[in-house]
Amino acid sequence: MNQSCAAIFGYNEYSKQIIQKIKGLYHNVGVFVLNDEELIAAQNHGVFAEKFDLSDNWQAIEDRFNVDALVVFCALRDDAENVFLTISLRATYEHLSIIALAKDNESMMKMKSAGANKVMPILQIAASVISDILAKPIVTEVLHDVLYEDSDLSIMEIEVTNTSPLCGTYLHDTHFKQDFDVILLAVVDHEMGTTFSFASHGHNHHIDGGDVLVAIGYKEKLTRLKRWVRGEAS
Amino acid sequence: MISKYVVNIAYFLHTCHPYQHSKIFFYNLLENQNYRYKKYFDYFMIGLIFLSVYILIRSVKHEISHDWLIFNNYIISLIFLTEYLIRFWIYSNNSKIIIDQYEHDLFLHREFSFTTALKKMGKEKFKYISSPMAVIDILAIMPFFHELRIFRIFVLFRVLKFFRYAKSLRRLISILASKKFEIMTLVIFALIMIMVSSVLIYVMEANHPDSKIMTLADALYWSVVTIFTVGYGDIVPVTSEGRSVAMLIIVAGIAVISVATSIVVSAFSEKIDEIKEEKLLEEVSRLERFYLICGYSPLTHEVIRKLHKRHLPMVVLEKDSHKVAQARTQGLLAIGHDSASLHTYHLLKVNFEKQVEAVILLHESDVTNIYAALTIRELTKHTSLFSILHHPENRRKLSLAGIESIINPHELIGMMSKIVSTQPIAFEVIHALRSEETSTVVEEIWLDSGMGERFFKLLHDPLFYQRFSVLGIYKYETEKFLFNPSPDIEIQMGDVAIVIANRSLVDEFRTKLHRKQKR
Repeated sequence: MNQSCAAIFGYNEYSKQIIQKIKGLYHNVGVFVLNDEELIAAQNHGVFAEKFDLSDNWQAIEDRFNVDALVVFCALRDDAENVFLTISLRATYEHLSIIALAKDNESMMKMKSAGANKVMPILQIAASVISDILAKPIVTEVLHDVLYEDSDLSIMEIEVTNTSPLCGTYLHDTHFKQDFDVILLAVVDHEMGTTFSFASHGHNHHIDGGDVLVAIGYKEKLTRLKRWVRGEAS
Repeated sequence: MISKYVVNIAYFLHTCHPYQHSKIFFYNLLENQNYRYKKYFDYFMIGLIFLSVYILIRSVKHEISHDWLIFNNYIISLIFLTEYLIRFWIYSNNSKIIIDQYEHDLFLHREFSFTTALKKMGKEKFKYISSPMAVIDILAIMPFFHELRIFRIFVLFRVLKFFRYAKSLRRLISILASKKFEIMTLVIFALIMIMVSSVLIYVMEANHPDSKIMTLADALYWSVVTIFTVGYGDIVPVTSEGRSVAMLIIVAGIAVISVATSIVVSAFSEKIDEIKEEKLLEEVSRLERFYLICGYSPLTHEVIRKLHKRHLPMVVLEKDSHKVAQARTQGLLAIGHDSASLHTYHLLKVNFEKQVEAVILLHESDVTNIYAALTIRELTKHTSLFSILHHPENRRKLSLAGIESIINPHELIGMMSKIVSTQPIAFEVIHALRSEETSTVVEEIWLDSGMGERFFKLLHDPLFYQRFSVLGIYKYETEKFLFNPSPDIEIQMGDVAIVIANRSLVDEFRTKLHRKQKR
């Protein structure tokens, strides 16, 4: 996703955390609330918020953001309102990136049907984390650091350009581990859309321009690999 | 002088470890339901009871060998006598009674009253001697005096000893005891009916030439047979008056049987929940290792569903009876007790260090979770505590309550939002690895010292090459994660390799690694 601005609907504990984590990534972050209570709460926390209603009037959003570069977080308290908000946004903006919160899997299915690109079921996420910590504590800790924390070890999506030295080669010809100290996790075949296949499947994938590599490694080494894959440096 | 001597002995016994240990051992063996070897002792005693009854039955029409008679009359009786004496010994603590009395008198600057202590000891021991079970025990020993023919029949009292060893029989007695008043009322009613009808039938029938009721004993026998609706028909009333009495008795008999049945049924239905709860508690105390989950909510249900793969039992503690019922319908081992009460854990007889893998606090309020955590921390300092956090401002309070792992869904959603909006594919890849819903998984492989060379050599095996990724090695000693480790790294005991591969391949790798290790 190449969005430069974010709109968050609803102001509650979840939105606060979303704002805190994403504010460094987007140059324009806006909060929209349904009622005065949330509006006052946001203002008390120094967050500029605007009121909106669930009608089809999105003028406030269009005035403030470039909708083509906008990502929307639907984080209203009520699942039904979130579903309605999602379906309203999708009805108006076909290509808008919508990330929605749902209480559980049941609501998640509704939100996906309503047109959300990504839905986060709170109940299942919390349960997964608890069971992951209990079942594989070390794996969970390492992957948590890789995904969420600002640690040296990181994960990166690297798109193969048409001018990349990788174009036309096969996956088994690559030696990212030895050459770049980076581990390739998965490959997304651009012809297959966003579905990925794990590198450890052993499938000797033919790399083309537009494919996406998902790799883990230290940040500077990932950056080096990224530049090389894009044909910017050796 | 004697008093001083007695006090010295009491102090000696009270501090004598072998004596105390043996007393505890016998207490566990005879009385402690949770002692693992008690059941073997119970089986042994039940076996002896069966053998006694068998010998008694066989001796009616067959000649019993002398050895068997000796075994039945002396050996079994001696075993029972020994058991009786040990029970008598462990029932109360005489040395403690003497010491308490001595210290009490000493505190009040009085002469030690040995007589008072003796009375107290006697009172305690008499409590045991007069208990129904002890009376049965002593009657079961009677065949020892087999020369007195009448005592042979006392072998049957050994059957009553089953109540000591069969839990279900003890439970039956306790259920019926809860209806003592109703049962006594019914018994009195039945006795009055039998008495009245016996006298009536005797008066009506005794002088009739065709009647078989000649004595009051005949009348009593007929009344008992009639009132309990058995009616053998060996004695029947022949006069109109007698038949009228019989009709009344039959009706009264039906009432007695009906009321008796309803008393037993209601006793069972009232106690059924208690019995179920008791059985559940027993089941939990027998578990070798389990997760203790405090609080039942949709989150609990989801956590249990995900933990199911670990094949470790899960015990849910929930005070709300509706939630307990809901959990039980899901097939969960749910106990209807308060997770924030010490009494609950005493009931469960849970040994946290030995039995509990981890405690997961999933109540729908931080207050309850903190309260439960502090209760558990009173019982154990080492068991891992996990808790969900409902309000971010309470995080520090949860930490102070001794909870090591706090899961904050708000923070998780915040972090996920960041990665999902910037690197959605990367997030999906990691999510797929962790969810174990695809054939490719991320696994922990525990290593041992000296495994390093084999470990890295195996990676070059054609089976694993290109299809087996070692993400890194977590060093147990330094608690550091070494990403993409080089083959010359020193592997120590407790180090963990994190690998990504097909599940079957990971299993194969583990097998090969350990097989080579054995060689």
